[in-house]
Amino acid sequence: MKVFRKLTVTALTAVIAVTASFAGVAAAADSLKGKITVNGSTALLPLTLQAAKEFQKLHPKVKIAASGKGSVTGPQAVKKGIADIGACDWDASVDVPGFKAFDGQVANKVAVIPFATIVNKNVGVDNLTTEQLKGIYSGKITNWKEVGGADANIVVITRAFGSGTRVNYQAKALGGGDIVKKEKNYKETGSSGDMKTAVGTTPNAIGYIDLVYVTGSDIKAVKFNGVEATTDNVINGSYKIWAYGYYMTKGQPTGATKEFIEYVQSKKFQSGSLKKLKFIPISAMQS
Amino acid sequence: MGAPVHGLTTQTQTSAQKVKHNTKRHRRHLLGNIVSRYYFLFSILALCVVLGLVIIFIGKTALLLFSQISPMDFFFSFNWSPEEDMFGAAAFIVNTLSLTALTLVIAVPVSVGMAVLCAEIAPKWLNSFIRPVLDLLVGIPSIVYGYLGLTVLLPFLRRISGEGLGDGLLAAALVLALMVLPTICRISDDAITAVPRKYRDAAYALGSTRLQVIMRVVLPAASRGIISAVILGMTRAVGETMAVVMVIGNTPQLAKSLFAPTSVLTSNIVMQISNVEFDSTWNYALHMMAFLLLLISFVLILVIRLLGRKRRDA
Repeated sequence: MKVFRKLTVTALTAVIAVTASFAGVAAAADSLKGKITVNGSTALLPLTLQAAKEFQKLHPKVKIAASGKGSVTGPQAVKKGIADIGACDWDASVDVPGFKAFDGQVANKVAVIPFATIVNKNVGVDNLTTEQLKGIYSGKITNWKEVGGADANIVVITRAFGSGTRVNYQAKALGGGDIVKKEKNYKETGSSGDMKTAVGTTPNAIGYIDLVYVTGSDIKAVKFNGVEATTDNVINGSYKIWAYGYYMTKGQPTGATKEFIEYVQSKKFQSGSLKKLKFIPISAMQS
Repeated sequence: MGAPVHGLTTQTQTSAQKVKHNTKRHRRHLLGNIVSRYYFLFSILALCVVLGLVIIFIGKTALLLFSQISPMDFFFSFNWSPEEDMFGAAAFIVNTLSLTALTLVIAVPVSVGMAVLCAEIAPKWLNSFIRPVLDLLVGIPSIVYGYLGLTVLLPFLRRISGEGLGDGLLAAALVLALMVLPTICRISDDAITAVPRKYRDAAYALGSTRLQVIMRVVLPAASRGIISAVILGMTRAVGETMAVVMVIGNTPQLAKSLFAPTSVLTSNIVMQISNVEFDSTWNYALHMMAFLLLLISFVLILVIRLLGRKRRDA
């Protein structure tokens, strides 16, 4: 016991000493202070966490707390004053189907998120047009043979209403068309991970997901209007199912929040860590 | 200081010290009693306050709903399409009740049977294997059950039913049954083990068979314990969310068949709450559903407690 206690004390002292010296050294180099709270989209969370880690190394006196729950909670939290930044998969300062604009909020573009239509590996179809997808999600097309596949019922898997992925998919892939509930062969999932598992384990299933999730052999991404879902095709403008990810702020960002957003938008982060996380830099789309 | 002198002084002092010491100890015990009494009182009060706050806060937000839509619409309409301002929760209420019932129909016979096996029939070595396994099953996080349901149970159900999806009440009930089984089984086991030996001896002395002893003597004597086991299992089944969400399909409609994708109160709340604006009718409706869940749990527990009491009186 005694030895153990001694060890603990020594270890604690060492940890405290090391932390203190680190903090001391770092604090001397930088004067930017503040606390930034980021809330909202889970799709953008990996990006936010990575950026926060790097930003805090540069500015150790800035504390960044990031959490993800769902796109709409981002601008919600900003509106309520709970968060400084609301990460959202759509521009919440304008109306989108299902959600009214958040007045007085500024949308700061931070990344490009591509989405893909995915099907179970047993589905023979590898290309779907906007019209065909519209038909499938509105319940008019219910059998794969109607779109050139085998004679089997289509199992439609979708995200719950209000998901950022769903909002964007509806706008870009379905041309604003509806996703209707069906009595059978229809299922809603709560997250991208669930969506992937559900489509991967359900024969004849179709769904949609962030492009970064398309991995493994259980699911495959299908072409959209003849164009393959790749980041290159997003950048050259031929693949249309993608959206900007936004940091919503109350009015123009100031202080540490402004610095942080500028860091995320900086060339260093955009073409470095952001690309590594398989997002697309915003600058790639503005040409 | 010499040793003998020292010994002398201690000897003369001991009796006086003993008395002092005893009163000291007595006082300490008294203090301990008082402190622990207040501590327990405080714990219970804290628990009540927390429970009260939960009820108040959920209830407060929930009741805001009825300033926007009528209770008739909420409780008796089967149309839940919040994006079109239709907030009928009847389908979820019916589904929750039928899911719980189905779960218990599957789980109770099996788990009580296993409890009887453990307590009455199985040899010691088998028990020393079964009981730890059941305890382990309780500790598995529900999301793991859900994932297994999604990846193992659903494909199996699809194969035997020929359905495209397999999601629905049956899948959810099977997953839930597996989850509540250890709870019901272990508590029933304890209740059966606690039945005094003399009851069995007396029954055997009258010439009963083992089955008769179990069915007519042991089970009735342990019925109150078994009923509380069922209550605990049921409350877990009513409130369970993560596992259910993964295998039920999450389509807000009344479950007309065992394989139709559907939704219960818990799964609908967890699917939608994070995508809903804070101050919207939709949010209030979800809070109302949470409040309802609370009430359903209370009412079910009350009903079964009353049933249990009656059976014991009879």
